Amino acid sequence: MGKVWSTLLTVAIAVSVTGALWVAANLAFNQVRVEWRRFVAIAYGAMGFLLGILVAGNRVTVHSQAGFLAFVWLPSLLAVVFAVVGVAINLSNSPRLKRAIGIGSGVGIGVLLGLLVREQYQPALSVGPLLGWTIGGALVVAAINNLRKRNPISGALVGGAIGAIFGGWGSAQLGSGTIVESILAMTIPAMLMGARVGLSSTPDSIGKARIDRRSRVVIFLGPALFFISIALVIPAIRTFYLSLLDARSKKFVKLDNYLETVKAKASWDSTKWTDMFTSRLFYMGIIALAVAVVVGVIAKKRTGRAVEIGNSTVAPLVVGVLLVLFAAFTSFRGTIVNNLWWVVTVVFFSTGLGLAIAVLADGAKHEKLAKSLIFMPLAISLVGASIIWRFMYVPRDATIEQTGVMNAVWVGLGRLSTGSGLPTIIGTVVIGVVLLGLVVVFGRALAKRAWARAALPGIGTALVGWFFVRYTGIIGAGVGGFQVKADGSIVPQAIGFFQEAPFNNVWLMVILIWIQAGFAMVIFSAAIKGVPTEILEAARVDGGTPSQIFWRITLPQIATTIGVVVTTLIVLVMKVFDIVKVVTNGNFGTQVLANDMYFQAFQSGNTGRGAALAIILFVSVLPVMIFNIRRMQSES
Amino acid sequence: MNQIAPTLNSAKSSTGIADRLYRRIRGIRGWLLGLIVIVWSLPTFGLLVSSFRSRDDQRSTGWWEVVGGVDRLTLDNYRTVLGSTSSAKIKDSLVNSFAIAIPATIIPIAMAAAAAYAFAWIDFKGRKWLFIATVSLLAIPLQVALIPLLQLFVSGAHLSLPFTSKTVTLIPNFDLAGSTTAVWLTHAGFALPFAIFLLHNYIASLPKDLFEAARIDGADHVTIFWRLVLPLSVPVLAAFAIFQFLWTWNDYLVANTLVGSNPDAMPTTIRIANLAGDFGRNENLLPAAGFAQAFVPLLVFFLLQRYFVRGLLAGSVKG
Repeated sequence: MGKVWSTLLTVAIAVSVTGALWVAANLAFNQVRVEWRRFVAIAYGAMGFLLGILVAGNRVTVHSQAGFLAFVWLPSLLAVVFAVVGVAINLSNSPRLKRAIGIGSGVGIGVLLGLLVREQYQPALSVGPLLGWTIGGALVVAAINNLRKRNPISGALVGGAIGAIFGGWGSAQLGSGTIVESILAMTIPAMLMGARVGLSSTPDSIGKARIDRRSRVVIFLGPALFFISIALVIPAIRTFYLSLLDARSKKFVKLDNYLETVKAKASWDSTKWTDMFTSRLFYMGIIALAVAVVVGVIAKKRTGRAVEIGNSTVAPLVVGVLLVLFAAFTSFRGTIVNNLWWVVTVVFFSTGLGLAIAVLADGAKHEKLAKSLIFMPLAISLVGASIIWRFMYVPRDATIEQTGVMNAVWVGLGRLSTGSGLPTIIGTVVIGVVLLGLVVVFGRALAKRAWARAALPGIGTALVGWFFVRYTGIIGAGVGGFQVKADGSIVPQAIGFFQEAPFNNVWLMVILIWIQAGFAMVIFSAAIKGVPTEILEAARVDGGTPSQIFWRITLPQIATTIGVVVTTLIVLVMKVFDIVKVVTNGNFGTQVLANDMYFQAFQSGNTGRGAALAIILFVSVLPVMIFNIRRMQSES
Repeated sequence: MNQIAPTLNSAKSSTGIADRLYRRIRGIRGWLLGLIVIVWSLPTFGLLVSSFRSRDDQRSTGWWEVVGGVDRLTLDNYRTVLGSTSSAKIKDSLVNSFAIAIPATIIPIAMAAAAAYAFAWIDFKGRKWLFIATVSLLAIPLQVALIPLLQLFVSGAHLSLPFTSKTVTLIPNFDLAGSTTAVWLTHAGFALPFAIFLLHNYIASLPKDLFEAARIDGADHVTIFWRLVLPLSVPVLAAFAIFQFLWTWNDYLVANTLVGSNPDAMPTTIRIANLAGDFGRNENLLPAAGFAQAFVPLLVFFLLQRYFVRGLLAGSVKG
């Protein structure tokens, strides 16, 4: 198992080197109070080392090309030289001597570096830019320092040094100069910096304390902020920049990538949107909405409010809206539509199921076990969950047995429905009994003129009644997975859950609902347990029924939590990737934004489009995230 | 509700009908919950059973028909999947998953704990704004950073100097593209805003007297951080560690982007996704491979559930 050991070793080295660097930095700054000169030596040495890395790392100097040792000698040398200079400046007391040491060692280091510059880097100096940059830099930084009420002279020296680097190296033609020119180009900034260092004075004890305190801020925050900026901030800015360039990041194309993405037929296809008005979902939705209106009118007469949390208008209203939305999502097609569909469906069903299960489980027998079993999918990766459901959905040839649960049930239902034996009759009886029960409940509510309470059983009766009619073959040939051949024979037929658009999207969403309902449940469960028992007890003493207590007390109490779950899920679902990537890879009309981004950026090599999609994703979750972060901050 | 159930029972026992009705409703609730639990565990359970069935059994009958032939169950799939000769190479990828998940958990915890301490207990100018800015980075989806990060790992970071045609190399190309190192470095960076936020909430709520007493005793920040803050923060560190470990273990997007098709660095998620990709040929191995991948998270889940839930509750805000 060599791989295990080498991996462990890498991990151990990474962790211990990081830790050692951190401890070393702390020890170094401990010297500020203990032994100032030692601190100066360490600090100057570190600066010299960094400068050496920058110079040698960019292969500017001779003998810096091949191998680690060849690369590391210059940084080490500069570290020693800088440390000595630093200590020397701090040892001397007179300002004049300090200045002399600073300028002298600046010149020395400049000459040394200039001598070491490789031939192909020797700059062809021209006086104009060199002077212009140097003076310009000096003036700018001096002015800034003046505004900040700092010493303008030291600012001028630093600015001049930076300007001289730009003027001597940046604007010059590299490789066509002489060694004298490279010495000059190195010496001018080095001398200016040396003069600036010569101005510094040894701080008194208050100054030392300030350095000590500030250093801790940097040491404690530095690593995290450095990492964040490299892994997150700079890449995010760069992605935005890339999204304005073409596929190969060569040409500036303004907002073309965004416009192309939005206009593409693959993103937003409304050619068949009128199909919506002929779809069954739409009619069912309209019926449910009509029921909601009727119930609402009655409820308004009775209680003065048409729609109220927990009253009977809500159920048909929600069902109606969902059905109409589904009708719209199946008629409008494209990546953006799919994403919206995902968000609506997964957020609604995960939250609803999570809440229902949390209420059901609260105080039930074996509550903990039940909850952990429902919660378990959350520990499994999305890839793993996709595989689990692939086996649930797998369709088999009609001639062999179905091995996926869903198709086994569906084909089995078809067999039952179209068959004629005892099982079929038992099926008819079972569905009939359920239907009868619903009719009784519905009828009783009607008889009592409790119109509002009749809404849900009414919808149930309609659905089960329709199913009954189909099952028994009163309308159509039956229900389930079968196909009537031309010669009248009936053969089983499985559903290709992942291939048959547009509802394959829904079957993919089921996977995420299966996972996220557990998440919602755990959060709701904790919130429900947090509702003060005194309030619940008081409500009970006042004669509130369990349903009244739930809708009027528990639900308002956990409203914030519902908000948390909904917003969290919106963000999560908006970025859905793994499931789509693993199961269909966006084929069969299941493409979503995140997978399209992956495809564009990493598979088809269109960096611009990929970056634009990433930014679109970012912008679309931004409002919700801002809301979320605001809430988090007000909580903490 | 738990606590008031007994009082409710005793109150209702005087009225017979109501009591019976209540119990019946309770009964229905129990049955319904049981049904949901069964439906919810069915997919996982089915895959678990399938993973112990032979190739022929898996192809010819549904897993529920195992009832008739429990003795036909076999460990062959696991042997094949975890064997070193298997083309699935799950064993290697398990090592890679650890190589990603362990440093991607430890390193951000260490950095975030230090940063959270600084934000909570070291006074400096602009502290509040810097903290808000850091936490606001939670809003950035991973996707936004992925393209430049891949470029960074492929070719290093180079700065074009303004107004000149020269570039300076800031980060050389360390040849990290396609390695596990690239993946965990990225995870570590992405995890930090959330980790800082989570740990800061906890560390900032530690009692102030504690710090003042330590300060009076002459302890400096490092001592306070090491001796006081870290030991006291173990619960929140554990919660974050579990959350982050599972997150990185189960991650597919980052690994797939940065490791790509390098077979030596692939974590388990990519392996099983690829296995699922070549339809038919190795399909009988997929259930066993899936469970080999899910074994570690499930173990963590069942052993450390309390911390897991705590981390999840806190992690519900992660972007």
